[in-house]
Amino acid sequence: MQFKLSILMQNFPYLIGGLKLTLSLTLLAMLFGIALGLALALLKISKNVLLKRAASTYIEIIRGTPLLLQILVVYYVFPGFGIEFNAFTAGIVALSMNSAAYISEIFRAGIESISEGQMEAAFSVGMNYAKSMRYIILPQTIRRVLPPITNEIVAMLKDTSLVMIISLAELTYRSKQISAATANVITPYVAAGAIYLIITIPLTQYAQRLERRFSKGD
Amino acid sequence: MIKTVNLTKKFGNLTVLEDINFSIKQGERVVIIGPSGAGKSTFIRCLNFLEKPTSGEVYFKGEKITEKSNLPHLRQRIGMVFQHFNLFPHLTALQNVTIAPMKVKGMRKKEAGDIAMYYLLKVGLEKRVKHYPRQLSGGEKQRVAIARALAMQPDLMLFDEPTSALDIEMIQEVLETMEQIAQEGMTMIVVTHEISFAKEVADRLIFMADGSIVEESTPKEFFTEPKTERAKKFLSKVVSVYTY
Repeated sequence: MQFKLSILMQNFPYLIGGLKLTLSLTLLAMLFGIALGLALALLKISKNVLLKRAASTYIEIIRGTPLLLQILVVYYVFPGFGIEFNAFTAGIVALSMNSAAYISEIFRAGIESISEGQMEAAFSVGMNYAKSMRYIILPQTIRRVLPPITNEIVAMLKDTSLVMIISLAELTYRSKQISAATANVITPYVAAGAIYLIITIPLTQYAQRLERRFSKGD
Repeated sequence: MIKTVNLTKKFGNLTVLEDINFSIKQGERVVIIGPSGAGKSTFIRCLNFLEKPTSGEVYFKGEKITEKSNLPHLRQRIGMVFQHFNLFPHLTALQNVTIAPMKVKGMRKKEAGDIAMYYLLKVGLEKRVKHYPRQLSGGEKQRVAIARALAMQPDLMLFDEPTSALDIEMIQEVLETMEQIAQEGMTMIVVTHEISFAKEVADRLIFMADGSIVEESTPKEFFTEPKTERAKKFLSKVVSVYTY
């Protein structure tokens, strides 16, 4: 068994097709995940005990169960309650719901790291809570959460491979198909791994650079 | 303009302020001094409800302030300058001053910019408008903070130890700015340790200790003939520090 360039060349377009699906899943899940994660973070720091507890419970459930199980639940269990998705949408929903829980904790920590004086200064010039958040606290939070959110994007990119369980033909799934069809396990898996790394290594380095820059103060 | 009746503030079991009865008229300048831990900052923060009083009342222009009042609206009328400046680090000096007029009063950028420039000029920072807070010295930061508060055109200004976090050589520029505002007739309540400022600017001086107003008089009376032992003790320490 050895790496065969011919097998790679022949199946390269098919793999790239899988990569496109991987990237769309990552992008969409991150967009929804960030929006939902921010909302969850705001609920969690709110003074309303009920909202706070609801957000905490959601985060606990998501963080305490495997993503693979969450994907299965969204695809196979939700339809029983009348919520039906095609595989792609189910994948997006499960990945978004999952990343939201992790991102909300990043946002919460980011918001809480802004000194209390900022909120007080915003209040002192007549801003209400919503305006203080929007114009003063969140713009400062964004800079601080950028590195951990970039890391979250890397994690998400890799985790999208789990949607193969509901037969979504993303990158990993396609490499498995190719290995079955060509009876060569090394070539497609090495190729898929290389493609992941081409994307994840620069992202990780970018996150580290941001972190260094922000840790210097500005 | 502002009045408190039996204002009391407790943090848990600790009583920080006890039965403070205070009032200030339009155009009056009141300086509050006293040892640290006297409750001076807590008191001034209760006036715009950044701290919620445990009991007692605060009246602003005859209207009782409660937790249910329109606090954002009220705070537009009461400017505040903090010990640690609390400038918005993601905004330039100019944006620090325009943000509230724009987002709170709904002014256009041009109009808010004109007002901001007027006040930045007044505090002597017209050449630093594009700088971010991190590019400014402590004294400059505090003057931007003063311009930020003034740009909302408040009826009353609260200063919470505005020079305590500054290096010696920057204290003067901030005090001069404050004196200038006082000369223009602004109603001011200033918590400070700056004796010379108190002497020059204050119409009335309040000495606080252990959560209460211990003595209330003109600065001249207070510094030459303090009535209480507590004030005498405090002054003996302050005078030795400031060596006059």
